[in-house]
Amino acid sequence: MNDMIICRCEDVTLGELISHIENGSQTVKSLKLQTRAGMGICQGRTCRVLVEQVMTYYADESNIISSSVGTNFPIRPIRLAELAQNGKGDP
Amino acid sequence: MRIADHPILGKQRKREVTITFNGTSYTALEGESIAAALLANNIRTLRYSEIAKSPRALYCGIGHCFECRVTVDGVRSKRACITTVKDGMFISSQGVDSP
Amino acid sequence: MKFDLVVIGAGPAGISAAIKARKNGAHVLIVDENPVAGGKLLGQLYEVPDKGWWIGQRIAEKLVDQATSIGVQFLQETEAWGIFPGWKVVLENSETIDTSYVLIATGAAEKALPIPGWTKPGVIAIGAAQVLTNYHRVKPGKRVAIIGVDPLSLSIAQELQLAGVEVVGIYLPPINPFSQEKADPHYLLTNLAKMSHLAPNQLLKTAGKMLHNPFVKKLAAKWYPANGLKIGNIPLYLRKRVMEIGGETEVDHIRVAPINRNGGTVLDDSIPVEVDCVCLSGGLYPLSELAGSVGCKMVTIKELGGTIPLYSPEMETTQSGLFVAGNITGIEGAKVAMAQGNLAATAISSRLGLLENPSSALEQAISEVEKERKNAILTFMPQVEEGREKVTTMWKTT
Repeated sequence: MNDMIICRCEDVTLGELISHIENGSQTVKSLKLQTRAGMGICQGRTCRVLVEQVMTYYADESNIISSSVGTNFPIRPIRLAELAQNGKGDP
Repeated sequence: MRIADHPILGKQRKREVTITFNGTSYTALEGESIAAALLANNIRTLRYSEIAKSPRALYCGIGHCFECRVTVDGVRSKRACITTVKDGMFISSQGVDSP
Repeated sequence: MKFDLVVIGAGPAGISAAIKARKNGAHVLIVDENPVAGGKLLGQLYEVPDKGWWIGQRIAEKLVDQATSIGVQFLQETEAWGIFPGWKVVLENSETIDTSYVLIATGAAEKALPIPGWTKPGVIAIGAAQVLTNYHRVKPGKRVAIIGVDPLSLSIAQELQLAGVEVVGIYLPPINPFSQEKADPHYLLTNLAKMSHLAPNQLLKTAGKMLHNPFVKKLAAKWYPANGLKIGNIPLYLRKRVMEIGGETEVDHIRVAPINRNGGTVLDDSIPVEVDCVCLSGGLYPLSELAGSVGCKMVTIKELGGTIPLYSPEMETTQSGLFVAGNITGIEGAKVAMAQGNLAATAISSRLGLLENPSSALEQAISEVEKERKNAILTFMPQVEEGREKVTTMWKTT
């Protein structure tokens, strides 16, 4: 089961997540930053909850530091050109 | 894979269009999604993952998960599940060297 | 140009709201990322007892025709990536739309149900199978296995069969950090019974009847036949788990293991079953990222399916002028979503000064939501009423 992919965008497996927890990852955020889980094109829309579940299931409860990985704008991937355009006011 | 005559919904009458996927031409029906058109032609694999290069395909079907992303007429990462086919559309897989 | 109301999401809630507000005289725009308006309605197909077939696609077409004919504007294939105070809705092409009110009606998405092999082409979410089959009229596979037992998967199993797809069985997922109660046969039996009274199809009805007797229910998990019960022609295997989805490049089989009487999996007795498609059903959750990003107070209510923006009896969030309706507020059927859309639009019309007698209009709209909830033929969350009460209480104390 450790070969099972959790983050489809970044090809992060369950085994990788577990090994980072065993090596001391205490927050979902650090797990994310170390493995890139949830940092691909879909921005964690499929795996965000899964990574949280991995944390709760495999980490020693007293070691988990709760941290929120909420949602931020933009909620859909946008092209840099569009973002640049947006900063310039009305096109 | 097409459901020609549905017992409740009946038959569909839609105009045929031609699309190209990775260099091969296929017949699609006007108004359907790229993912549906390719599946009707028995094609499931739409791209290869960036790192492990494993084959990937339609998953959520509602534009949420981005698993079905393909390059459409030169624009990368269009979602095949919510992008409608157009006659002459040129679609290619991501995660492979250009065919 | 400035709109009175911008609706995000052209599903049953969004379109109903747009029609109501437009009828009252508001200028309304609907923004939706899909090529065709209708949202989840587009794939729905089930038989309503004594009333015939609910063909979601036709209902969607009627709603869209009605909305268009009275002057609701639709912007399809357009993503809204942000909402900013004022209110401004920013679209993917970087265009900004000014509006007095915003209704977020983004609906729901499916929870992931990871199983080894779940990224292989041929493994899809159950909702994708529904859209392919009933909207695009393309079979998701020739031989399909369904993993996850819930009202949605049972209903779609029947829809697949109706379209000529061979459904080899409905199975449980393996026990892992993600499957939780979905892997527990006893939980499933108890909750299926709660959700399936007045169910829309034979399959749900049979499952419900079987479990109405509390004595049967108690024993069912233990004595449920290992070979499943055939409901229609579809075996419902509450004592088999799919441990793995296999295939070299695409799905060609699942590995099925029996569940013993204590609920454990007997791995030694697992066998491969040939399939070319697997549908995973992890259940629906409210799609509330847009509301979360704009700073609405979010609350997690398990009975409603997940995290939702806290909303008032008039469907307004903690951000004044920002309303919600439909599955973003909790998982329920299309008719409840439509009634909620109606209610939100009535409240917005009232704020815009378009109503002669706002309090009676609101009262009526609220009672219609309650009526639809009571008459629902398909309940997705067994304790939805309790969930709604929690929202009411939380709103009062905010």
